[in-house]
Amino acid sequence: MGSIMKKVASGIHGFDSISHGGIPQGRTTLVAGASGSGKTVFSVQFLFKGAVDYGENSVFVTFEERPEDIIKNMKSFGWNIEKLQREKKWAFVDASPSDSDKVEIGHYDLGGFLARIEYAINKVKAKRIAIDSVSSLFTHFQDPGIIRHELYRLASRLKQLNITCIMTAERPTEDGPISRYGVEEFVSDNVILIHNRLNERGGRERTIEILKFRGASHDSEEAPLIVKDKGMNIYPRPKPILRGKGFSEKISTGIKDIDDLFYGGIYKNSTTVVTGASGTGKTVFSLHFIIEGATRGENCLFIEFEESPDQLTRNAASFGWNLKKYIKGGLVSLICHYPEDLKAEQYLNMIQDLTIKNKAKRVVVDSLSALQRIYSEEKFREFVIGQNAFFKMHDVTVLLTNTTSELLGISTITEAHLSTASDNIIILKYVELGGKMRRLISILKQRGSRHRKELMEYEITPQKGMDVIGPFEGVENLMGGSARRVEIRFDETEAEAEFLEESKSGRI
Amino acid sequence: MASKYLLKLYVLGQTANSQKAIKNLKTLLKNDLKGLYTLKIIDVLKNPSLAEEDKILATPTLIKTLPSPIRKLIGDLSDSEKVLLGLDLSFEIKGEK
Repeated sequence: MGSIMKKVASGIHGFDSISHGGIPQGRTTLVAGASGSGKTVFSVQFLFKGAVDYGENSVFVTFEERPEDIIKNMKSFGWNIEKLQREKKWAFVDASPSDSDKVEIGHYDLGGFLARIEYAINKVKAKRIAIDSVSSLFTHFQDPGIIRHELYRLASRLKQLNITCIMTAERPTEDGPISRYGVEEFVSDNVILIHNRLNERGGRERTIEILKFRGASHDSEEAPLIVKDKGMNIYPRPKPILRGKGFSEKISTGIKDIDDLFYGGIYKNSTTVVTGASGTGKTVFSLHFIIEGATRGENCLFIEFEESPDQLTRNAASFGWNLKKYIKGGLVSLICHYPEDLKAEQYLNMIQDLTIKNKAKRVVVDSLSALQRIYSEEKFREFVIGQNAFFKMHDVTVLLTNTTSELLGISTITEAHLSTASDNIIILKYVELGGKMRRLISILKQRGSRHRKELMEYEITPQKGMDVIGPFEGVENLMGGSARRVEIRFDETEAEAEFLEESKSGRI
Repeated sequence: MASKYLLKLYVLGQTANSQKAIKNLKTLLKNDLKGLYTLKIIDVLKNPSLAEEDKILATPTLIKTLPSPIRKLIGDLSDSEKVLLGLDLSFEIKGEK
């Protein structure tokens, strides 16, 4: 019976989730990546957190940067390595390039190097070691055979000493071999890759991928990686769940007439997408939804990408809602951001953290399309799915707004992921009728329940906010945007069925 | 008279390469640099902190600290011509002769 491989906490946010527990304990793990991918930060964070948070002292073997540069650079993350050195929790083995020439004459081995490593380990009673990078060793010496042999010897010795080791290795190109000199073949059964690729918008995006852990489980897909002010963060891909808790209870959208269209409101724990052109009243709808929640004493989270807090509270006040009061009282958390401020993973993190922290029951993201504008399609899809899975698990009723670009006329819900991720879809539209711009609301779907299918007219008034007046009658081609009056000659339900067909075929 | 040479030879215990290096170096010094050098032989297993200071990776390693510039020679020093060249001794010795 094989023994179960133990793992040690990496100290890298999110890594222990994708690695199902951390770095293989007492083994050597190779971390390979092109230059600039963040291998050094990964190594130092693993060691630093090990010494500070997990009582595992550390040895850092540096080949490229001098110890004093590492100390200086890592201060920006708030990591005080000098303090650890004084406390005998950290030792350097300095293998950074020196300026003296070197000549090779005859046979040699790396006994000096190995002796220094063991000396440093004993000095601080280390449990963790990182060697950054082993590729540099090959540039120091002419005979790669000797290096391979000695690295193999080192890995075996460390295993004997039960020390957890990270060796970094340079990747020549992003899509080439795992590492220069094929280090992975003789050094380690555990390989982690850090990718650093250009994205569709010309920026750089880093991901981390566990290629293999001998005899231990791990996630196999790549996870986004970001280095920010407190070090490296990894954002595990959310594991989409098919269904959260089923629907049972219905709650109000905050607009009585719209609740009626849903036959008594929307399901608690459902996701509703409100889609419409600019000015159709999506933010007003959102405010209705939030104020309704706050009035009932529910915690609400309002993520706003298009207006400032002042604009939004003023906007709310113009309809007679004291949003400010709810914000001050802590019932409503309002977060206004430029969508460009953070990356998709960071937003996801932020939304999740705030939802949990505030115990939010209602969440609005206004608008989702602001994020879609700046993310790649793939990223956006992941964001929507991840967000949706999270909300489903946390009993949150969600309202997402989506801005369509066409003011009039047919706009398709091309955002297929929006459509599948949502339980309810509400369409807001302008129609030109009798020389006037009128507003139309229609429920495209409600998952798990029937809904009314009429196209309703609504207005936005200071007294009532969104105010449904009644169904459009005797008009056709409303959804096309240029309606014309017709005599009612055929059965209404037939026309309705036609509209429905249209919407099903995705033309709306 | 030439300035005095200060040499350090880092070795790893009783390994073959290290023993060879000691033997080769001593022969060479006796022949070419008699009385003009100080040689320290350092075992990295016994003095790892010295190895750390001199950033030793390979053993054996011969370091010429004086006169400057500092030179590092790696290996069992089996080719005495190369050793002399590496220590910048070649020209000087020939000149004296």
